[in-house]
This record gives sequence, C-alpha cells and structure tokens, in this order.
Amino acid sequence: MHFIFSNEVVLLFDFWSVHSPAGMALSVLVVLFLAVLYESIKVGKAKLLYWAVVSMSIPASQLTEETDQDSSGSDSPPVSTTRLRWLFCHFGQSVIHVLQVVIGYFMMLAVMSYNTWIFFGVILGSAVGYYLAYPLLSMV
Amino acid sequence: MPRRRAAFRQDELSHGCSAGRGLGAGEGRVEVLRGRRRRRESIWKFPFLFWKRLSLDLLRLKLSKEALTNHQVTSYSSADSTFPAKVDHSHHKGTSHMAYNSTTVPSHHHPTTSASHSHGEGMHNMMMHMTFYFGFKNVELLFSGLVINTAGEMAGAFVAVFLLAMFYEGLKIARESLLRKSQVSIRYNSMPVPGPNGTILMETHKTVGQQMLSFPHLLQTVLHIIQVVISYFLMLIFMTYNGYLCIAVAAGAGTGYFLFSWKKAVVVDITEHCH
Repeated sequence: MHFIFSNEVVLLFDFWSVHSPAGMALSVLVVLFLAVLYESIKVGKAKLLYWAVVSMSIPASQLTEETDQDSSGSDSPPVSTTRLRWLFCHFGQSVIHVLQVVIGYFMMLAVMSYNTWIFFGVILGSAVGYYLAYPLLSMV
Repeated sequence: MPRRRAAFRQDELSHGCSAGRGLGAGEGRVEVLRGRRRRRESIWKFPFLFWKRLSLDLLRLKLSKEALTNHQVTSYSSADSTFPAKVDHSHHKGTSHMAYNSTTVPSHHHPTTSASHSHGEGMHNMMMHMTFYFGFKNVELLFSGLVINTAGEMAGAFVAVFLLAMFYEGLKIARESLLRKSQVSIRYNSMPVPGPNGTILMETHKTVGQQMLSFPHLLQTVLHIIQVVISYFLMLIFMTYNGYLCIAVAAGAGTGYFLFSWKKAVVVDITEHCH
C-alpha cells in the first residue's frame, strides 16, 4: 500500500465514488472543510466548557453571599437548578465530543484511501482550521 | 501575548479554565526558543528536498505506467542506483521510506524484504472493505481467531467495543486526575494582567513538575502505554468499516465522556476557577 496520485477514489461510502478531476477537486474541498470543522470543534468544546463554568460560577458566588446572611434552609432550590443546568450543558458537551470522535475517525479513513490529493486536503484543512480557530481560544 | 496564548492552549483544552499551568520560567523559555528556532530552520532543508524528489519521482512513475512499461522501466532503474543513496542518507529524517520502496516494485530491480513484505500486505488488504457496510457475516475483529458470523456474536462484539471505548475515555480522565493529584514542587509565579474596567489584576501561575523515577511517573507511563494501545485498537476496529462496530465506538466514546468527565468538570468548577 502506498500513496498514489489518482483521479479515481471511493471515499468512505458506496455512493461517494470519484472518477473525474472535477469530482476529485470537489472531494478534496469537502475533506478540507471536514478537517476545518474538526479543528474548530476542538476549540469550540473548550470554549463551551469555559463559558459554562463562568456562567455557573456567577450564581455560585451569589449563593455564598446569600447563605452568609440567611439561614441554611434556603440552600436546596438554587443548588438543584444549577445541577440541572450543568446536566444539560454537560450532555451538550458529550454530543459535541461524539461528533468530534466521529469526524476524527472519518478523516483517518479518508487518509487511509491512500490518495495523495485527499491526503493533501486533510493536511491543508487541518492547517487552515488550526490557523483560524486557535486564536479564538485566547479571546474571551 | 503569545505566552498567555500558550497558557490558554494547554489549559482550555483539558480544564477549560484560565488558570495557567507550566509557565514557570516564562521569560527564560522564550529566549531559549528564539535561539533554537534559528538552528531549526537549517535542518528543515533536507526533508523538504527529500519530499520534492519523492513527489517528482512518483509523478514520473505514474507517467511511465501510462506509456509502454518495459522501455520506461529500464531507463528508470538505471537512475535507481543514485536514488537509494539519497534515500539512505535521509532515511532517519524521511518518514515514508517503506512507501518509497514499495513504489519501486514494478521495476523488479529491488529484491528487498521490505518490498516483498509490502507486496504481501497489498494482497491481503484487497479483501478489506473500503466503504461503510452493515453486516455480521464473516467479520474479522482485530485478531485471527475473532471472527463474527452470527447476529448474537455481533451483539456481543458491539457490547465489548462499547465498553472498550468507555474504558478509554475513563482512562484519559483518570490519568489527568492522577497527574493533578501527584504534583510535586509547585512553584508560583505572579504576573499582572489587565482586568475588566481598566484595573490591573495579579494572576498567579503554578509550575508543577514530577520526579523521573518516582512511582507516580512510572504509573503514568504504564497507563500511557495502555492508553496508546487501546487507542490503536479502537482505530483498527473503526477501520473494519463495519457500521455496527463504528457506531459502538462512537457511542462508547460519548457515554464514557459523559460519565467520567462529569466529575472532572465539577472539580474544575470548584477548585481551579479563579474567583
């Protein structure tokens, strides 16, 4: 098995068979977009977690101020709503994680087709995705 | 600015918090990196030349296949005597040495073991599926003895792969928490950062280190090896292109992330977020 330059490839699914240069160019663009999406999902998951932690901690600080003044009886309702919000947020995070895992595996299988154009598309897409997405990580 | 970005990159991906980790000697490290970068740029010349030569030769091989083969191949094999020297020279830098050897198979002037090995591998891989399919007849799973033939066996394999993916996610989270628990020699380094409303906040970063021969580090290494092996097994399972098994991998990863990262995220919320 070795890398070949070819205009014919069958990629991932039975219906995705490419025979012409135009089809190959389109496939490379799709794979590129997939790689960009993968990198941005990685950044998006981290940003979502950070945003969730920030939004969760603001009611928590208010909660500590309240319990200093009131008695400990008013503790349970705010805690349960926070827990429920955290559950939903974490469930959303898990869905995004599954999407990231699946897209990562699809990219691995695309590279496994051993077509050099597709490989370049994956590499270029990863580079473009990293370039576009990672500066957003340090922005608040 | 780049220092802050580096801190964010390490932490946002694992903890989702802006508390820095591993930024002890900030200034010193930037100076060392600047000196190192100058030396690095000269080394990259050789792999670039290697890849350029490789791509040109692959293109030439493709053109020779389209024309009459015998005439072109003899002219190519005469140029071959110079090429192995180049390949051997940059062997420790080039990564696809094996791939290049297999492209010389049509010329039959390289009776190397690597060429015959890749030729044998090519014969075996022709039986592999290259697109997604749903089926449970004659599905080989990782090892030669594990062949799935019935629906019941496929259900069992689904559960086993699901549990394996869940275990992999749990192992990742467990390694992270073990690393955090076993930190020794914590150094604090404060630096001023602009806060909201134009105020200046003092942000404290910790550097943590581990002894090389300590038990926590050896345990981390063993767990790392197990994690690498399991990740390759999951990749090979996904590579069978069987729809049921791929769904089992994805669902197991999602469930494992949901169950194990839940606790980790709560811990991050309480202990590490700077109030």
